[in-house]
Amino acid sequence: MTQLSGPPPARSAAFPIAAELRDVSRVHGSGSAMVRALDGVSLAFPAGSWTAVMGPSGSGKSTLLHCAAGLERVTGGQVFLAGQEITGAPDAVLTRLRRKKIGFVFQSFNLMGSLTAEQNVALPLKLAGVRVPRGDVRAVLEAVGLGDRLRHRPRELSGGQQQRVAIARAMVTRPAVLFADEPTGALDSASARTVLSLLRRMVDEEGQAIAMVTHDPAAAARADTVVFLSDGRLVDRLDRPTAAQVAERLARLEAAPC
Amino acid sequence: MLSLSFSTFRDRWRLFAGAIVAVALGVALVQSSLLVMVSTDRAPVPPGASGRVREQIREGYAGAATLLGMTVMLSVFLTVFIVGSTFAFTVAQRRRDLALLRLVGGGRGQLVLLLLAEALLLGLAGTALGAAAGVPATWAQARLLIALGFLPDGFAPVLWDSGAAVASACVGIAVSLAGVLAASRRAAKVRPLDALRDTGASARVMTPMRWLSGVSGLALTVLMVALAQSAELLGAMMLALGISITGGVALSALSPLVVPLAGRALGVALRRSTLGEIAQANLRDGVRRSASTAAPLIVLVALLVGLAGTLGSLALMSGEEQRRLVRGDLVVESPGAAAERIAAVPGVAAASPEVTVPISVTARHHEEGRSWRRTHYSGIVAVDPPAYRRAHKVRLLAGSFDRLRGRTIALGPGMAAEGVRVGSTVTARVGGHAVRLKVVAAFVPTLENYSETFLVPRDVVPAPVRAGGEAQTVVRVAPGTEPAQVRERVRAAGLGRARTVAQWADARTAEQQRGNLGILAVLMGMAGGYAVVAVINAVVIAGTERRAEFAAARVAGMSRPQVVRAALVESWAVTAIGLVLGCAVAGGALSGMLAASLRGAGRPLVAVPWTLLAAVTVGAFAVTGATSVWTTFSATRPRPVTLLTTRE
Ligand SMILES: Nc1ncnc2c1ncn2[C@@H]1O[C@H](COP(=O)(O)OP(=O)(O)OP(=O)(O)O)[C@@H](O)[C@H]1O
Ligand SMILES: [Mg+2]
Repeated sequence: MTQLSGPPPARSAAFPIAAELRDVSRVHGSGSAMVRALDGVSLAFPAGSWTAVMGPSGSGKSTLLHCAAGLERVTGGQVFLAGQEITGAPDAVLTRLRRKKIGFVFQSFNLMGSLTAEQNVALPLKLAGVRVPRGDVRAVLEAVGLGDRLRHRPRELSGGQQQRVAIARAMVTRPAVLFADEPTGALDSASARTVLSLLRRMVDEEGQAIAMVTHDPAAAARADTVVFLSDGRLVDRLDRPTAAQVAERLARLEAAPC
Repeated sequence: MLSLSFSTFRDRWRLFAGAIVAVALGVALVQSSLLVMVSTDRAPVPPGASGRVREQIREGYAGAATLLGMTVMLSVFLTVFIVGSTFAFTVAQRRRDLALLRLVGGGRGQLVLLLLAEALLLGLAGTALGAAAGVPATWAQARLLIALGFLPDGFAPVLWDSGAAVASACVGIAVSLAGVLAASRRAAKVRPLDALRDTGASARVMTPMRWLSGVSGLALTVLMVALAQSAELLGAMMLALGISITGGVALSALSPLVVPLAGRALGVALRRSTLGEIAQANLRDGVRRSASTAAPLIVLVALLVGLAGTLGSLALMSGEEQRRLVRGDLVVESPGAAAERIAAVPGVAAASPEVTVPISVTARHHEEGRSWRRTHYSGIVAVDPPAYRRAHKVRLLAGSFDRLRGRTIALGPGMAAEGVRVGSTVTARVGGHAVRLKVVAAFVPTLENYSETFLVPRDVVPAPVRAGGEAQTVVRVAPGTEPAQVRERVRAAGLGRARTVAQWADARTAEQQRGNLGILAVLMGMAGGYAVVAVINAVVIAGTERRAEFAAARVAGMSRPQVVRAALVESWAVTAIGLVLGCAVAGGALSGMLAASLRGAGRPLVAVPWTLLAAVTVGAFAVTGATSVWTTFSATRPRPVTLLTTRE
């Protein structure tokens, strides 16, 4: 595949499936201490679609996200990212993918403490050796409502504002797929709504794919699809979900005897 | 990448302050040492100086060059050490930030570059400071070398030389980059996943490299201590120096294991109070922190006490040796003219006048197939051979002392290792005449540094020349006479100063000690300065790192003074552990000297430098105490809530 380097940057829509797991398993430890965090999971994250991953604590949600993003090696199965198999890819390939094709937002620890909001947003492009027009960075920060906080350091921003800076960072590179692990976990409901609306816009306007882990049925209801994990296995799936449906499935899952 | 380095640097300057000071110190010392050397080169010897003065100045310059060379090497080594440990600390601390960089697309090479750029900034800052400090440092170093007798009075160093400035700037930057290498390799191993998961890997303090150097160093040290128990004196001395160095390095590498272990022993005493209990728990928990405070102390005490003790013991033994070589009751120091009259003092049974005479001897030296001629001026002694033989235990390497009569010469203990052959002929210049003398004997070397170089029969040197020298006369008192009486008569006759052999030997020992301790003081004072920087550095870094922890303690109900006191108890406990471990190494080093002196002299001749040890102990407690109180106070200044809610 030649889309990985050099301009013009491939539009995310160039790949109908932004990321895919095929029969992936991930085992931690060995012997009696062995844990099957993922057990034969097959799942695709299509472009222009938002997938929420739900399940009880310890069911393997974060592991799924890490495997799909190439941060963790899988024990079995295959992983594809932006049309390329990355199952055993060397670090240099993964690094290049992280620069251009993948974005990350998590519950906390999103930003470099010593850099301003503006510098944090420009960081991935700078690391990729791309010249960053300041106007672009500003426009993105204004789009997330932080036009007056360009020079602030993370410690001078609230949790929700930090999260929005992280999203702005993911928006500026226009990654094929954005991985988000409980992005609203530490936010109040108003900030959470702002963040979710921003994510919705990325999917609708830029045709990007989003894979999001969450515990919040209201957040999951903003997604196009919700998948449910239990003990490392995909057990359920909802398209065009409502919060009530999600809450009900989740309750059933958590009550089920293991 | 540079802008990222710059903002990290600006944000965390406090962490880098110690390393900057270390680089500045290194640069200043390299620059001043080079300048002093350049100056000795440019103003070699004052015109019109006598041969003897020229020889002294040249020997002083050679001594100064050796000392300066050691200074440069030591300061470069210590600077790399401090910069290295500072970066190791910050890499461990910034693990999440580095992982985040990897997550947003930073490659391994870029992480290494980031740290190299930080080191470069640090090196530039340190170099700028050091270049400014270099001017007063050059002046101070020259004064010090004059005071130690290496440089002649009135020696004025050049204070600026562009070559020296460029060289020291290069050293400053190279040293910073060298210091960061290990840390940058470790930073490159940080995985992007570490930004999301708090994996246990960051808690690992004992790296494989540390295990390797610690265990092999310890094994080597134990081996050397075992060998030293049966080594002869010079072997024991070399082993003692080796033990001080490897033992200190080994224990400081193993300090993450050893310090908590020692902390458990201390725990019995600490656990009596609540604060002590907290301090002890922290000691066990903050392994990296306590180890990096204790490590420089271990190295410093091991080196300082080990080296000072070894050299002091050597001086004691050389005093003992002199005492045994002299067979007499008194030693009289007098002008050469008076020496001949001592034999006539009532109560003197025998006197052996030995006059250090102002003549020169030109001899041919042979060594490893090369041969050269050299003229010697100092330590040439005119003796009365039969009287000398009665007054001394004569130990020869070669030749025969009985043949020392007429136009002959003997090689003194100071010439034993210089490669002049027995049987060869040397040329002496005595009062303007050249005399050829045959070498008939060579003495066994002694432990002293500045012994006699040549012995000539006194007939070779005319009486007027002898009269101008300085004499030392060994006197045997007639049976039935009190040595004190003779002493009094010598003094009354105005012949000179008489002392018992024991007093004379002690004075010679003290003289040796002064020379040794002067050099040691320069080197160790410098190492001590670096150790202070390293210790303050560790305490400051640890204190800043613990702001959230302090805040949590205060929220849990501790008052600010209580937090400060708990931190103080903790750092004093670490200090005590560092001092004790350093002393253990020094003890190992001196055990060989003890064994050698028991075997050689039949009694323990070990000089434990108690005053030095006391000074280091007091100084260490003062420095760690003050730094700990200051950092804890400034780390607890913000209200605890603000610290608990910020996250980076
Ligand atoms: N490094 C590891 N070593 C051993 N077991 C691990 C490791 N990482 C995760 N696990 C195990 O894998 C399983 C899945 O973990 P994962 O973090 O994916 O859960 P999760 O669904 O994200 O849970 P939560 O909702 O609490 O974040 C858990 O049982 C966990 O204990
Ligand atoms: Mg999780």
